[in-house]
Amino acid sequence: MINPNPARENELMVTRRHLFGKTALGLGTAAMAGLIGAELKAEPNGAGGLDGLPHHQPKAKSVIYLFMSGGPSHIDLWDYKPKLNDLFGEQLPDEIRDGQRVTGMTANQKSGFPLAPSRYKYTKQDNDAEGLWTSELLPYTAGVAKELCVVYSTFTEAINHDPAITYIQTGAQTPGRPSLGAWLSYGLGTANENLPHYVVMHARTKYPEQSLFNRLWGPGFLSSDHQGILMRSQGDPVLFLSNPSGVSRQDRRAQLDVLAAINQQQAEQFGDPEVLSRIKQHEMAYRMQASVPELVDFSDETAATLEMYGDDVNTPGTFAASCLTARRLAQRGVRNIQIFHRGWDAHGNLAGEHSSQAKDIDQATAALIKDLKQQGMLDETLVVWGGEFGRTPYCQGGLTRENYGRDHHPRCFTTWMAGGGVKPGITYGRTDDYGYNIADEDGNPLRPQPNKDKWTPGTMHIHDLNATILHLMGIDHTKLTYRYQGRDFRLTDVHGHILTDILA
Amino acid sequence: MKPCSSNLVCSLLVLGLLNTTALLHADDVDFARDVLPILSNKCFVCHGPDSNDADMLRLDTEELATVDRGGYRAIDQKKPRQSAALHRILSEDDPMPPADAEKQLTDLERQTLVTWIKQGGRYAKHWAFVAPVKEVPQSRGNATREQIIDAFIEDNLKVAGVTFGEEADKSTLARRVSLVLTGLPPELELLDEYLNDQSDQAYTNFVETLLSSARYGEHQARYWLDAVRYGDTHGLHLDNRRGIYPYRDWVVGALNDNLPFDQFITWQLAGDLLPNPTLQQRVATGFVRMNPSTAEGGAIPAEFQAKNNFDRTETLGTVLLGITLTCSRCHTHKYDPITQTEYYQLLAFFNSTAENAMDGNSYTYNPVINAPNDQQAWRQWKQRENEKIRLINAAGKLLGEKVELNEEQEKTWKVADVAGRLSQLADVNGPFAIEDVHQETLVLLNAEQEAVKSFTTTLVAKELAMPRETKVLHRGEYNQPQGDPLEPGVLSVMGAFPAGAPRNRLGLAAWLTADDHPVMSRVIVNRLWSRVYGIPLVRTPEDFGVQGEHPTHPELLDWLAVDFRENGWNVKDMLRLMVHSRTFKQSSAWRENVNDPENRLFARGPGYRLDAEVLRDIGLWASGLLSPHMGGEGVKPYQPDGMWKALAHPGSNTKQYVRDQGDLLYRRSLYVYWKRTSPHPMMTLFDAPDRESSCVQRQRTNTALQSLGLLNETQRVEMGRILAERLLTQAETDEDRVHLLFRLLASRQASASEMRAILGLVDIMKQRFTESSEDARVLLAIGEAEQNEKLDVVVHAAWTQATVAVLASDPAILLY
Repeated sequence: MINPNPARENELMVTRRHLFGKTALGLGTAAMAGLIGAELKAEPNGAGGLDGLPHHQPKAKSVIYLFMSGGPSHIDLWDYKPKLNDLFGEQLPDEIRDGQRVTGMTANQKSGFPLAPSRYKYTKQDNDAEGLWTSELLPYTAGVAKELCVVYSTFTEAINHDPAITYIQTGAQTPGRPSLGAWLSYGLGTANENLPHYVVMHARTKYPEQSLFNRLWGPGFLSSDHQGILMRSQGDPVLFLSNPSGVSRQDRRAQLDVLAAINQQQAEQFGDPEVLSRIKQHEMAYRMQASVPELVDFSDETAATLEMYGDDVNTPGTFAASCLTARRLAQRGVRNIQIFHRGWDAHGNLAGEHSSQAKDIDQATAALIKDLKQQGMLDETLVVWGGEFGRTPYCQGGLTRENYGRDHHPRCFTTWMAGGGVKPGITYGRTDDYGYNIADEDGNPLRPQPNKDKWTPGTMHIHDLNATILHLMGIDHTKLTYRYQGRDFRLTDVHGHILTDILA
Repeated sequence: MKPCSSNLVCSLLVLGLLNTTALLHADDVDFARDVLPILSNKCFVCHGPDSNDADMLRLDTEELATVDRGGYRAIDQKKPRQSAALHRILSEDDPMPPADAEKQLTDLERQTLVTWIKQGGRYAKHWAFVAPVKEVPQSRGNATREQIIDAFIEDNLKVAGVTFGEEADKSTLARRVSLVLTGLPPELELLDEYLNDQSDQAYTNFVETLLSSARYGEHQARYWLDAVRYGDTHGLHLDNRRGIYPYRDWVVGALNDNLPFDQFITWQLAGDLLPNPTLQQRVATGFVRMNPSTAEGGAIPAEFQAKNNFDRTETLGTVLLGITLTCSRCHTHKYDPITQTEYYQLLAFFNSTAENAMDGNSYTYNPVINAPNDQQAWRQWKQRENEKIRLINAAGKLLGEKVELNEEQEKTWKVADVAGRLSQLADVNGPFAIEDVHQETLVLLNAEQEAVKSFTTTLVAKELAMPRETKVLHRGEYNQPQGDPLEPGVLSVMGAFPAGAPRNRLGLAAWLTADDHPVMSRVIVNRLWSRVYGIPLVRTPEDFGVQGEHPTHPELLDWLAVDFRENGWNVKDMLRLMVHSRTFKQSSAWRENVNDPENRLFARGPGYRLDAEVLRDIGLWASGLLSPHMGGEGVKPYQPDGMWKALAHPGSNTKQYVRDQGDLLYRRSLYVYWKRTSPHPMMTLFDAPDRESSCVQRQRTNTALQSLGLLNETQRVEMGRILAERLLTQAETDEDRVHLLFRLLASRQASASEMRAILGLVDIMKQRFTESSEDARVLLAIGEAEQNEKLDVVVHAAWTQATVAVLASDPAILLY
């Protein structure tokens, strides 16, 4: 391979710009404006977004969403339920379940609904309020308690993975709607045209249970350039990024120049501004071929930073490597980053699975928060951690003090946020002594319903979560709409309340 | 379309400022075109069909809007100036919409409403719900059928003060029409024949050749498969394999055979309910089974019974009715006159199919039947069916002459179906045993017995003996049925259920294809138009409802819709009519004096980036790699490793992408395996939908990642290398090679500047690979296709760099 020659590249770049500038004049002002406008327009808020956005001053410039796919157990990770210890093996009282529909997996279980206290020790960390109980599964994350806003009262209606994860990611339980990230890309465009708008990573797990689907980061009916782009650990980090074997960067330069000459002639003949825009995209791709490898090359990170993320950070595809990549993306102006970590669907052997899962994520999660803080980025980077639902306090399958399984639980689960305009060091909402229902201060079940007119304080429906994320990114969730089939669709459908209580 | 009433409107139009609500003027307000969209978009949220409050004013019907509300009327048709609505929309103190309403009126909209009320506030039905009539343009009373499209288009051009653009040159037109009809550029021989044919019939002959090409059905089928969301997997949860590709092959065959569109629809909706359904008619019902499905462990069957039905009902709405029904799942439609009850009546047609709500993760998600496993097998099946009829006819002629039947035999013969008569023919002791037809029948039946061994299963629709009960579901919740059981029924705004038709899917098909159905034929010709002209007449092909866009050429749309039906629902003939129009043949160059970026006037020919499948097919075809094999199980060409595994459930049988070998790598893209949760990345990169939900109009994006795909993806490089080989072996000089390259991809010779640019690149690359022949070798090793060892590696690699670039260039990837 011949090494690229930066001086020569720059020269070619200038020549080409000159060429386009000159010949484009022959195309009429409309076409010209289309090309030049995109380059010269002042873009404090990025390119390609909607007019009028952001709707208000954003608190967060980027969101890094750590998605724990499968339904992490709030009871074993976050939501401390000491009273369950005394109820080991006893049946969940009917009045607590209160007719809640359960999945086909435990509905007819012979053992009924025997309560399974968490085997994990909880300790209390200082935060900026009454403190935060943390599970021994997440010792590192416990160390950043002061940065977290932990919401115990997230809820959803869906009780199975596919509908639930589709729901939280797209606002509807069935396929067809745009994902959260696609909405953000559609609304805000990008602040770095040399990298994808919306990056999705799949972090390695020992338990790749449950599927993910393109639709979770898909564009739905929005233009498909808003779809999430997979940043991969296998092969090219971005699909088709590398030149074919035997083709050097200079070869590509020469190819692109010929391509531009041919396309230029086409543009002159047909005058379609789209053709000029395509010439620009080819150039952007060329720049991306340099910027992406630079992005995933950690050699410019300090030893201290790498150490903070742990040994895993050196292995591409791990959660740690994904977290560091996420920080580097956010640093480069990518707004929209999501890491999916599968394997939280512990129907049995929760002890084995969750401990492995927690080990995958714990150190790196804490490191990400600390790293963002050290870099002065946490204020403008929203970190979200959560799954599509929680897990039942009752056991699925065999129950011992040491090990058990838990079924899906939509009625309450824990999500946390950090940075990006969220109050640090607080908790929000609570659940009853069983970790089964969202509760009021006296421990009475609240049983909120998603309702566009009435919001139950102390609760966070998944639409509320999405509304709040959009709000922090400068978007009014009721105004970010797209007309499709005659209806103005939004991420939050007709629902969603911003959780003003947790905003900084 | 009504000619614009003033120069102001016309200049708006020409300036490209036209939108659906702007096309109006003080003295010419058309309720359906101008007023209803405003009411719908700005008022119906509160004052519409779904108004919660019984006392709330309703503006969606004339009767309710003009009712006496205790001394005043919102719309007072006798004393228009006293209309309360008039005062409220002009009021500053107490305005409507209220000051805090999300959607406010624009000045233009307010003025339109004022004018309309002052003129008497008369209502009319939304255009799409009024059956189309076929009226020739007033300006051209004597226009022939062949001239009608241009007459309508020209009416609008005249109003805008422009004329048709120049006709595209012959080679451009040849490439364009070939891509439109078959999805491939013209074969060089055919191209030359056309270019050299100076007769009046040249173009017509060229078009006929394309229409009769088997490639036609493959290309046209793609649009339908997008609409019906065809996929090779179940879609949800495990996203396991689903055996339904015989349906896809049936679609291709039906389009190639030009099955009349009413039958095309009827077979798909209700082939199983036709008398003595044929195998084809039953396979066609795969349409009913196309919804994504699940077998997730915890899923509740009743919930998915409802979800599957929602999906099927709403897809019917999008694909055939051009209307969104999703709103009515939970409540009466906010905009269109469709009640929640009607939604569930429509749903009831689908609620009695026999399959389980859950797919069991099974390839043979019952009911299934056996069907031919590729297009060749289908052809043979058809031949056998024809042969059966021939034999029975031949036997019939023998009766009373050479063959006498006894009383019992005669009775059997009379009542027997085809199979029964054949067994009589085949009976060694039967009346025909000594005739030739007996031997021929045995041969045929043996052949059939042999052929069915290769048949494969395909999902089909079957009706339960006892229909399931359907009720309205409160807020669309499966566990909250309410009210009395519903009989299957249709949307009354689109016409009554045909008298005497059965209340099942067959009746539904009869309603859709009835002469007075206002929407279906419009929806279909709109999409046919879009295939030919690049953009539809109704810019919202998925929504013909009140919130959709008004057609740019309403009378033309109506004329085409009625003609389509009257002409026997003949798809090929409709496309034939369209591609012969002057409108179609115009150059697609943007015109200096026509500022119409969205081409609403159709004052230039179509221009757009070709679809994902076409981009791949062109490269395979130009290099000579394209396999002619039609049909069969979805194929798996090159795909970056690990893409499926990164997403898939460990229990899924589609977690490993096992790349195919040999010929299968080069099948037409229509046949590429469609895993719904992760379609092939080169498809999604170029805007192919996921096929989890219906898509009747693909987007056309233009991204940097597409550039990477075009230049770096394995198959693109492989195509380039084999195309380079073709150029090197089939042309003598470098100039001829470049010309051949352009003739293949652009149907014309290269221009001087293209020639210069490409030969320049080849020279640079020759030098470069001379210095590093190892790079040349590794480049030429990409892809499975055999390398021509006789070629000089440096030269071959240099040309490969050029062909890969040109394959990605606009003359190759655009339609123009």
